[in-house]
Amino acid sequence: MMIQNRRNFLRELGLSAAALPFVAGLPSLQAADAVARRQRLIIIFSPNGTLPPHFWQDEPGPLGELKAILQPLAEFKDRMLMLKGLHNRIRGDGDQHQRGISCLLTGIELLPGNIQGGSHNPAGWADGISIDQEISTFLQGNPETRTRFGSLEFGVAVPDRADNWTRMVYSGANKPVAPIDDPYQMLNKLYGQRKDQATLAGLLDDVREDLRKVSSRISKEDRQRLKDHLELVRSMESELTRSGEKNELVHPEPDLDPNIELVNDNTPQVSRMQIDLLVNSLANDMCRVGTLQYMRSVGQARMRWLEVEEGHHHLSHKPIKDKESQDKLLRINQWFAGEIAYLARKLDSIPEPGTEGSMLDHTTIMWTNELGEGSSHTHSNIPFLLLGGGSGFKMGLSHDYGGQPHNRLLMSLAHSFGHRVKHFGNQEQSKDGALELA
Amino acid sequence: MRASFFLLLLVTCLLPWNAIGQPDGRKIYAVHCASCHGPKGEGVADEYEKPLWGNKSVDSLTRYIHKSMPEEKEDAVVDEDARAVARYIHDTFYGPAAQARNRPQRIELLRLTNNQYRQSAADLIESFKRPQTITAKRGLRGRYFNVEKMNKEKESVLERIDPAIDFDWGTGVPADKINQEGFSIRWAGSLLAPHTGLYQFRVKTHNSALFLLNSFRGDDEKNAFIDAYVNSRNNLHEKTGRMFLLGGRGYPLYLRYFTYKEKVASLRLEWKPPHGIWEPIPNEYLMPEVVDTVTVVGAPFPPDDRSRGYERGAGVSKEWQEATTYAAVDLVNHLITYLNIVSGLNEKQRKDPAALRRYAHEFASRAFRRPLNPEQKRTFVDSRFDQQSDPHVALRHSMLLVLTSPRFLYPGLAENKGRPDSYTVASRLALTLWDGLPDKQLLQAAKTDKLRTPEQISAQIRRMVQNRKTRRKMQGFFRHWLAMDEREDLRKDPELYPGFDNRLMIDLRRSLERFVDEVVWSESSDYRQLLLDNHLFLNQRLASYYQADSPPGSEFQKVALPGDQRSGILTHPFLLSLNSYHDNTSPIHRGVFLSRQVLGRLLKPPPEAVAFKNEEFDPSLTMREKVTELTKADSCMQCHRVINPVGFSLENFDATGRYRSRDNERPINTVSNYTSEDEEKIRISSARDLANLAAGSRTAHRAFITHLFHHFTKQSIDAYGPGTLESLRAKFTESGYNIRSLLVELTALAASHQVEGKPLAAQ
Repeated sequence: MMIQNRRNFLRELGLSAAALPFVAGLPSLQAADAVARRQRLIIIFSPNGTLPPHFWQDEPGPLGELKAILQPLAEFKDRMLMLKGLHNRIRGDGDQHQRGISCLLTGIELLPGNIQGGSHNPAGWADGISIDQEISTFLQGNPETRTRFGSLEFGVAVPDRADNWTRMVYSGANKPVAPIDDPYQMLNKLYGQRKDQATLAGLLDDVREDLRKVSSRISKEDRQRLKDHLELVRSMESELTRSGEKNELVHPEPDLDPNIELVNDNTPQVSRMQIDLLVNSLANDMCRVGTLQYMRSVGQARMRWLEVEEGHHHLSHKPIKDKESQDKLLRINQWFAGEIAYLARKLDSIPEPGTEGSMLDHTTIMWTNELGEGSSHTHSNIPFLLLGGGSGFKMGLSHDYGGQPHNRLLMSLAHSFGHRVKHFGNQEQSKDGALELA
Repeated sequence: MRASFFLLLLVTCLLPWNAIGQPDGRKIYAVHCASCHGPKGEGVADEYEKPLWGNKSVDSLTRYIHKSMPEEKEDAVVDEDARAVARYIHDTFYGPAAQARNRPQRIELLRLTNNQYRQSAADLIESFKRPQTITAKRGLRGRYFNVEKMNKEKESVLERIDPAIDFDWGTGVPADKINQEGFSIRWAGSLLAPHTGLYQFRVKTHNSALFLLNSFRGDDEKNAFIDAYVNSRNNLHEKTGRMFLLGGRGYPLYLRYFTYKEKVASLRLEWKPPHGIWEPIPNEYLMPEVVDTVTVVGAPFPPDDRSRGYERGAGVSKEWQEATTYAAVDLVNHLITYLNIVSGLNEKQRKDPAALRRYAHEFASRAFRRPLNPEQKRTFVDSRFDQQSDPHVALRHSMLLVLTSPRFLYPGLAENKGRPDSYTVASRLALTLWDGLPDKQLLQAAKTDKLRTPEQISAQIRRMVQNRKTRRKMQGFFRHWLAMDEREDLRKDPELYPGFDNRLMIDLRRSLERFVDEVVWSESSDYRQLLLDNHLFLNQRLASYYQADSPPGSEFQKVALPGDQRSGILTHPFLLSLNSYHDNTSPIHRGVFLSRQVLGRLLKPPPEAVAFKNEEFDPSLTMREKVTELTKADSCMQCHRVINPVGFSLENFDATGRYRSRDNERPINTVSNYTSEDEEKIRISSARDLANLAAGSRTAHRAFITHLFHHFTKQSIDAYGPGTLESLRAKFTESGYNIRSLLVELTALAASHQVEGKPLAAQ
């Protein structure tokens, strides 16, 4: 019973009607084909540091056999780029976790504030825009690259709280953007309007019938008012039908499993639903930039589906010698890699409209983390792994920059979209310009 | 020209005298008047196009015809002839009674007004929940804690009711035993919204705060409406939010606050209500009890028809049809999402198709204001549940269909044929007094058929009148009758009226609302007190501006002013300011407003628009002299002989309503002769004279009754039969001009009125 309910509930549940007018309709989704080349960016965050020996290739150069964490991505080896030696050099207020996530994509200090971490001074929000929003704003400024949403912020198991351990996306200084970690809510954001239209179009016929019945029974003088009303319902119905025909989707909306409660143990299913929605929104060109945030910095997800009972952050503090914990952390990080592989495979399975290759050939996925290593809380060697052909970077390589500020990579991402920023985030840390990756 | 001359001669030969030697008005009219005014006074193109109708008395018409008609042949109809034709015109098509007879009003099938739509939607949902109870206590309940490690509550230190959230603790603490290093506070209570409209809120703090309002997801912090949790540099920061609220209802409110290792501590919860300014939410709008949530339709609607002088659901436009349809979509999305809260169904029932179907039946019948017949049951509910395997989808479709159905949108369709039955009466009562749907008691009374006899009906009305929803509608009546919302910008020249700022104007508005509330809801509820009372509600700010003895603080107190200067609404500074120029009084605005609204005089629009240009007058003149000069033409004086004396009697009050004895350095003369509708010259020398005149005037009483009737019923009073107004007026007089009794009477009349020959949907 419940499954049925939930499925249809989703199908039927609409977006707020305040976001209408319907009749103006959604931008035509087919029209955008065959115009300029589409270029996309997806940034994925997983928390609490990586296990360096199981992540990094030992020497720079062409990517050889991948280490354990990256095994799930083996098939994409030639389309991957490993960037070692990039440090998050942003200092100031906030503990390593707060700065780890909130400075990761902004490259700038946190404002002093009232949120007390485990060490350092209390801190507020980041003092600048994050790179995904910077790029999205750039794309939205150009009619050729403008999309309905510009960017979409997905989350998986992100706790429902607004603080600087839980936000990596900023639309500006002091302006955090909350990820949507409820796939059903995201589905509404993407398709709710269409559903409302469809439901209404189906019901208006009955409304007309009702009006007709009532009209026949009332006095002549009053009947005119209902006749006018009837006419208006008729015209709305035909407008809705027309706008529905105009807005046929290139890629049908994903059929989400409707029975997933948003609880810790369902994280694997939620993750797949969010990835499906992300790919779908990109395929229908609703956005060009997406972020996908798993949990939060200091996240305590209990990944029972990996037979890990302890909280993730707790585990990440265990000494490297603790074999059992390391093993669990390896499983956790492999799981994240597996999710990215699922995303990459999905993108690779869809041909890029109007040109050659798959969507993956026109998309760059960047997987990152707020710490270089969980047990030491270091901001050195932040894991940056790029995958896909969106940026035009030379792939299949492993670089080691030996301690360059990560701001330079953020600049490279902007430049790859033709957005030639001179600095990004902290000026001192970005003074040497973008990394040469093409 | 020649033709009419010939006609004149011809008809003169036919003798316009009747058998007993009296002049025949009908014939005189045909001879001398009809060529310009039309055979039935309807007007003639290129001659005198406006129809002849108005509320001048026969005497007044006689005088005018004798002196000024027909144009260019003023001597043709005089004395007894003038009287005869005046009576004929008056009784045949000019006077109100003739108008009502010639153009009989009928009770129209009206749609819900925008406000009625919003209130009905909220009432519909509320009928499945615990009804709101508004208690007398004010303020918010605060619990104070000392904290450790940021906001972790270590010990509870204090619990108290705080009158408002307006704290600047600086480097100090709210009370003894509270640690400077860190403390947190949780407030709970309700916000009482006085008006319907868009409210803005803001939280201002040097620290951390979360504000929850009307949250359908409980009091958990993650449901914050305004999130000012993270702060930077111990700076004062503010976060804002907007919410559409329905007036006269309460909304659950929670506020969380903490400060930790910060130098400065402060917290302010402010709002900007409709027609208001930013200010800490005043004590009178906060209540320590937490009420249940309210389902609010906040989507915009096109404005309602006001062509008859009051809002009613007459127009059916594309915008309106779309707005109601999308409002229904919004509403149903909301209902499905929060089914656990809005339906009154428990978890098991929410999974049970049969229980959901029962709920859908009940929902439809409450929305339609009567039980469904078998066909309606099938159309609106059962066919949905039979077609859809998923009961939630069926419920959704059913509710959408119900909320877009004419049976919900046109309450008149719920009425039965013939003598109104209990459901019809219940529907009419709820709509008339509350603009909404029947509550639980009314539903019960309808179900058990206990709205049959006049006694049963009037018992229900007396119960309902005491409800805050009636108070809300009554406040709406005064806003409308006194045209309080006509002008948004009341600012005056700050050099001439220093201190008369936005803050003061909001105080003035509240002062007037207080006064009106007090009069209406007092024991005697005396209409005359509205006009004659010489008290003003003043707080400290107002008292100092109006030079009265100062009551302490921002609380309003009733203050009697020295002498006999004030006279109820006529001299309330809010209305005096509203009807003034920004740098001077305006006897014309004041005169028109009081003549029309309070004295009940019917004034036609001016024959030509003349702007008052102060700079064109001799600067040594008083305002009275300028207005007299401006309106001296005969064509102006037709109305200004009424308007000007009324305005002049208030010249003792400047553009902000302050008492004054001189204008332009000359003593003020408030004495003049007012011309009554019976052409009687009445000497008035003050606002009080005028108020006494209105308090004893049948015309004024009729105007008040008519305004009240229209505001509450949304139907023309003439539609209820020719004697309706007079019978209400007699009862009004008999009751000692009791406004509440009048409301009870008119509601009873509207609720039990039998509509003739109108086959209805409920049959």
